[in-house]
Amino acid sequence: MNVPSTHQLLQTLQSASEHLSTNDRRDFLRRGMSYVAGSAAIVGSTMASATALNSNLPPNEPQWGKQLGTGVVENPYGYPSSHESLVVRRTVPWLTADSVSSISMSPIQDLRGIITPNGLVFERYHSGVPNINPDEHRLMIHGLVDNPLIFTMEDLMRFPSVSEIRFIECPANGGMEWRGPQMEALQFTHGMLSCCEWTGVPLKVLLDAVGIQTEGKWVLAEGADGAHMSRSIPIEKVLDDTLVVYAQNGEMLRPEQGYPLRLINPGWEGNTSIKWLRRIEVGDQPWHHREETSKYTDLMADGRARRFTFVQECNSVITTPCPENPIISKGFLEVEGLAWTGRGKIKGVDISFDGGVSWRPAQLKGLVLDKALTRFSFSTQWQGEAWLIQSRAYDDSGYVQPTLAQLREQRGVNSIYHKNSIHTWQVGSTGEVKNVQVT
Amino acid sequence: MFKLPKPVLAIALLASMTAGASYAENYQIGTAATAIQIAGWDIDIRPDGKGLPVGSGNAINGEEGYEIFCASCHGVFGEGEGRWPVLAGGEGTLEDDRPVKTVGSYWPYASTLFDYIRRAMPFNAPRSLNDQQVYDITAYVLYLNDLIEEDFELSQDNLAHLKMPNEDGFFVDTRPDVNNPRCMTDCADPSSLMMQTSLAGVTPIGHFVEGADAPAASHSDQQDLEASKEAERKAAITGEEIATSIDQDHTSMSAEALVGEATYKAACGACHASGLAGAPKLGDAEAWSKRLQKGNDLLIIHALEGYAGSEGYMPAKGGRTDLTDEAVTNAVLFMVESQQ
Repeated sequence: MNVPSTHQLLQTLQSASEHLSTNDRRDFLRRGMSYVAGSAAIVGSTMASATALNSNLPPNEPQWGKQLGTGVVENPYGYPSSHESLVVRRTVPWLTADSVSSISMSPIQDLRGIITPNGLVFERYHSGVPNINPDEHRLMIHGLVDNPLIFTMEDLMRFPSVSEIRFIECPANGGMEWRGPQMEALQFTHGMLSCCEWTGVPLKVLLDAVGIQTEGKWVLAEGADGAHMSRSIPIEKVLDDTLVVYAQNGEMLRPEQGYPLRLINPGWEGNTSIKWLRRIEVGDQPWHHREETSKYTDLMADGRARRFTFVQECNSVITTPCPENPIISKGFLEVEGLAWTGRGKIKGVDISFDGGVSWRPAQLKGLVLDKALTRFSFSTQWQGEAWLIQSRAYDDSGYVQPTLAQLREQRGVNSIYHKNSIHTWQVGSTGEVKNVQVT
Repeated sequence: MFKLPKPVLAIALLASMTAGASYAENYQIGTAATAIQIAGWDIDIRPDGKGLPVGSGNAINGEEGYEIFCASCHGVFGEGEGRWPVLAGGEGTLEDDRPVKTVGSYWPYASTLFDYIRRAMPFNAPRSLNDQQVYDITAYVLYLNDLIEEDFELSQDNLAHLKMPNEDGFFVDTRPDVNNPRCMTDCADPSSLMMQTSLAGVTPIGHFVEGADAPAASHSDQQDLEASKEAERKAAITGEEIATSIDQDHTSMSAEALVGEATYKAACGACHASGLAGAPKLGDAEAWSKRLQKGNDLLIIHALEGYAGSEGYMPAKGGRTDLTDEAVTNAVLFMVESQQ
């Protein structure tokens, strides 16, 4: 039902008017219908203002100020406002054969700050979401270790915990656009991306508990879901910053995110952060399993392929304006966006309005954290001019986000993964925004 | 170490503990994993053959299992159905405009095939095959790729020695592979810039562009959208009115059918939501009308024992032999009553 017909729009208006008195509702619906008849192109936020009721505006007392609202514990676990019902995860159905082996995208066009709310974190399943009883979940650590151990969830939560804000990104984010621009919305060009505060135990602490042997150079992490997703991870990463987490943004993991236990490999391709984690095996060489051979390898133009392409390189995108957030009025405009890098911290972001001919530094704002989403901002004026607006991030390793032409020259167009090139939005004279590529 | 006087040894040990080198002595959390516990979960196979169970199999014996458990998604010849993975063919295409990455054309190691089938296949019933079946089906997929002969006995001794055609086609990550200087002015020649615009009609944009001719934003909504377009198309030809309600009204269902919905979602939907292998899609009135005429009893027998006809192919219990007869029966009733 994501292509609203007039009928559906009217249904939306009807449900949105449920809190109104009879007279107000009639007025509201009439205005809504004239809006539909007026065939405005953009729905969503524009719709809300187009249907605002004079009777709820100054100098009148709005309807909700003249009645009682709902009481405490009406929703023991609360929901977003009913007016935010369009802020949801979405997928592109033709990408995958079935919803249980598929991916959805976070609505990053609608999010603020750097934290992704738990219900909006992008999803990636290979056999659907398992329903795991935490009392029956176990983590087994074995292989080249002195004392193979099994941990219950209670065991794991007894270890001293750490909480870290880290982004997680599917390496296929943007992968639909190697050959050309294809997705007409930010949610689909960059939405395989989220950022949470993760709480758990460093994997190093657990490996110290089992006593890793000197020949141990790799670990295999494996999920408890039907796919039993497995990835080989080099010991250097594991001893550096890999986390075994049970909580995100203050509550236990969501089932979609691996409840009750998952791995987080900060800054690395999301596929390595095994969800529903049940087993860690220490070995002396990688396993070359399906998700690190058939998939998640990067095919180059010469027919050879890179493997173990773990790090998510420095990337950025402008979130305001974007196709979903056109510029609605002339005058002051805060251009905003997100930048991130798997190699460390974002050091800065530059903005171009002319397709990359000239650049000006943006401001970083809010928290600037290691391997976390970072907000940038550039205050300007828009007077109806046409823009080819771009952002270019650079990180504290010295790496500067590349152009698409540079990536294509090195890799061709068939590598699917790790497309982190500078992104271009075309802003038209009416403020509408289109996804384009400039080369 | 043995020659050290005892006090020195004790001090050395103490030093290693206080340096935090071993947390195990400090936390004492967790339970020893027994060999039996480990053996049950240690399912991984490596390219050198480590982890392979004792046994062997061949393509002749694997054909039947492949056709029951694999062909509905991967095709009888490994050619792939719909958007499901292609398993065979594609040799020499890796440099092409549209490479076909299959077991034969792309996968570097045969061990990965055994590992993946045993860990994750068949799609709707992972971990249900025994090692003999995995050996046989692995052999059959290798045979479909012309990598072994039909009667080659694939075993724990020779699987690791099979050289896959693309084994040498991989190299370890060499990034960063680009160096973009942080240029601020005159970084490109404006007159030479080329701009390409997006494809239209492939992005789910209905939530912000009213009336967009666009796909839906979920698999189930896309199914509804396609069903309503098909109904409109037919109505335009026949002049009949469109039946309006696609939504399922579950309130009139039997208790058995309501219980069966969970089984449908976990097992049957893999084929019956998409129409794979000729499966009648849930909500497809035309496809179901013929089946409903046969009566529930016959439909349940077909679901339990399997069915092969011109319209479709259904393995016993849809390949989910782990399900009880009762669960399958309830799922059938759910699908039947969804049409009523």
